[in-house]
Amino acid sequence: MRNHFDLIVAGAGIAGITSAAAAASRGLKVALVSSGPGSFVLGAGCVELQDTERGLHSLDEAVNFFRNLTELAGCSFRGNIGEVRHLPTILGSFQTVSLAPFSMWNGAPEAAAQVAVVGIKGLSSFDSNFVAERLAYHAAKLGRGSTYIAREIELSIEKDTIPGTLQFGNRFDRDPHFREELLAALKPIAAKVSLIIVPGIFGLKSGQDEIEKLEKELGCLLCELPTLPPSIPGMRLFNRLEMQLRRTGVEFFTGFPIQKLQIENTRCTGVLLDTPARPLQLSSETLILATGPFSGKLLDTTSFGVNSDLHPVDSSGALIADNLYAAGAILRSSSARGGNAMAILTGYAVGMLAAGAGVQYAQG
Amino acid sequence: MHKDDISLDNCLKCSDCNTACPVVTAHPAYPGPKRLGPELERMRREGIECDTEWVEYCLGCHRCDLACPNEVNVSELIARAKATHKKTPIRTLRDWWFARPGLLGKLLTIAPGIGNFALGLKPVRLLMSAFMRITPERKFPAYVSGAIEVPKRAAENSGERVLFFPGCYIKYNEPELGCHVIQLLQLNGFTPEVANTGCCGVPSIANGDAAEARKRAADNVNSMIDAVDAGARVVTACSSCGHMIKTGFADMLAGDPVLATKAARIASATFDLAELLEVQQGAGKFNTNFAPATANRKLAYHAPCHQKSQGIGRPWYNLLSQIPGVEMEDLNAGCCGMSGTYGFKSEKYPVSMEVGQELFSGIRASAPQAVVTECATCQMQIEHGTGVKAVHPVNILLGAYKAEAKN
Repeated sequence: MRNHFDLIVAGAGIAGITSAAAAASRGLKVALVSSGPGSFVLGAGCVELQDTERGLHSLDEAVNFFRNLTELAGCSFRGNIGEVRHLPTILGSFQTVSLAPFSMWNGAPEAAAQVAVVGIKGLSSFDSNFVAERLAYHAAKLGRGSTYIAREIELSIEKDTIPGTLQFGNRFDRDPHFREELLAALKPIAAKVSLIIVPGIFGLKSGQDEIEKLEKELGCLLCELPTLPPSIPGMRLFNRLEMQLRRTGVEFFTGFPIQKLQIENTRCTGVLLDTPARPLQLSSETLILATGPFSGKLLDTTSFGVNSDLHPVDSSGALIADNLYAAGAILRSSSARGGNAMAILTGYAVGMLAAGAGVQYAQG
Repeated sequence: MHKDDISLDNCLKCSDCNTACPVVTAHPAYPGPKRLGPELERMRREGIECDTEWVEYCLGCHRCDLACPNEVNVSELIARAKATHKKTPIRTLRDWWFARPGLLGKLLTIAPGIGNFALGLKPVRLLMSAFMRITPERKFPAYVSGAIEVPKRAAENSGERVLFFPGCYIKYNEPELGCHVIQLLQLNGFTPEVANTGCCGVPSIANGDAAEARKRAADNVNSMIDAVDAGARVVTACSSCGHMIKTGFADMLAGDPVLATKAARIASATFDLAELLEVQQGAGKFNTNFAPATANRKLAYHAPCHQKSQGIGRPWYNLLSQIPGVEMEDLNAGCCGMSGTYGFKSEKYPVSMEVGQELFSGIRASAPQAVVTECATCQMQIEHGTGVKAVHPVNILLGAYKAEAKN
């Protein structure tokens, strides 16, 4: 049957991607429907400690799966549930995270570490003096002995352009000369410090090997910080995960919002996508809604919740559809909260439930 | 995907469009769709002078529209700015011709031998470079005169009537491909006829000639509406023609409500050939009388941008994957950079080639016997950039049928 799948996942955020990957790993034929890369453009996918501390059932297994997925995709996450790690932000503060991409993980303040915060000449969205000064202050408050110095490097830029992270990111991906130039500019700084913090410019598609190669050649640790949109680390995470999902047979339908969720007699039969000329009909046995915090209207109801199996229920508690699941930030419309930890947990759980992997993945 | 009535306030400056733009990616000096679309559109609507040559460098690939999570019609805003952009006299003249591939085709197919010979001569190409700013790096496709034949078959008149919209490339450069489309439709139970239509108008929009695009849309709508109202479906084998009929005709004719509703009826009856064959397969009527592939067993598929913008999945990939012995790889390596006439322009040739690099290296890594893609100018760019043969999927599918199936 044309465009028929075992599972349709709506939404390509962390929850949607995790659920599609989990279901595909169990052999399901999966379609991933999205109207764009969503909030990856805003951040880097860090999992905050506070969100992992909510006693979420079976988080360990979900996190293991997610770490494995990101490793296969060439953008490994480091850390674990309950791990406390202070990672710097572009505002010079430290956020408390439990899991983060490998390229940020080394940014934690270590005892007696010499850290250089390196800006790029002309790049207005990253002020190395400001970041270094604030990080020194906050590190002292945390009782860490690391010291911060601010440095600036100059990189060639395309004629008549203003330096931007997108330009540098694209050149990192495509131009070996640019990577050499970056290495040469950072090398003198690397000789004097144990960690370099830079604005995120290590490519929108480059894999972990490319970035770790740079780190190795510098002989010092690197930490990149997401800047104003577009966040290069976030887009890289999205692109690498998309490539990995395609490799495992997930079919992408990108760029067209859902016009209608087709539900009859508590059974969801598919979706209509808002495509040119006429809606595109996709049908499936099971459907996962991971469409973000403002998408409750797809269910034709302003308030809904989920039962213990993550099936959406209406305000009277009645099941909306028995083959429909919800995951990720859309659950904020119900009482659940929890950022990327919630996205990984619920995304994994509904992916496994859709694959018929049993009730142990239901929310305890 | 774009909505016509969307407010500029829907642009939240998230920059998803810039990360998706092939020109931004390959050529950092390009200001990008966010800047040239919604940002400058505010000023244009205030009447503030902000014309810039960069609007000409938009490929019209619509990848920004697909990336926008908030349904801003980014590329259409740039296309409108392109239509009012002031060009040098030489480029104005060149783009006038490039906006009219139908006229060019009609003229050059009067005596194709002479035309092809002249266009192939190095001095002529150098003169065109000097006086028309057309790059001497590329060869023009050969012009071929010939009709698209509809063979009589035993099953004649029994199948559903479909109207084949050939488009300029098939009409003037590869009429044989048009014959193959007709044969494929017949093999799959349709009763095809060739529409009496002209250029779809995509090259007119791409060259900033909105008035010409409107004329083409109106002529084509008038030529097809009776058949469509009588129940015929329209089928295209060129992704840009299909994209234009589905998304562009009604927009171009918005000033004439009667024509615009006709255009919308035609749009909803229009199918890409592979999309139609997939529908046929859904109804259990797709002919799979294939012989195991002998030649062209390892193929790489490149989805043209105007295929992606139609939101039909990837039907050619799915259909060709069903041929026994064929190994298909989806390259998924972005825009080829050709964008019709764009790649022929001297000043845009380097950008066109830079954009294509990701696809070229994807093809080299895949090392297929041939690249399959349903866009004629993508084919030109792939062969120019890699030397690997590029073919239309129609030829692969038709070639896969057993000899007796074709009788």
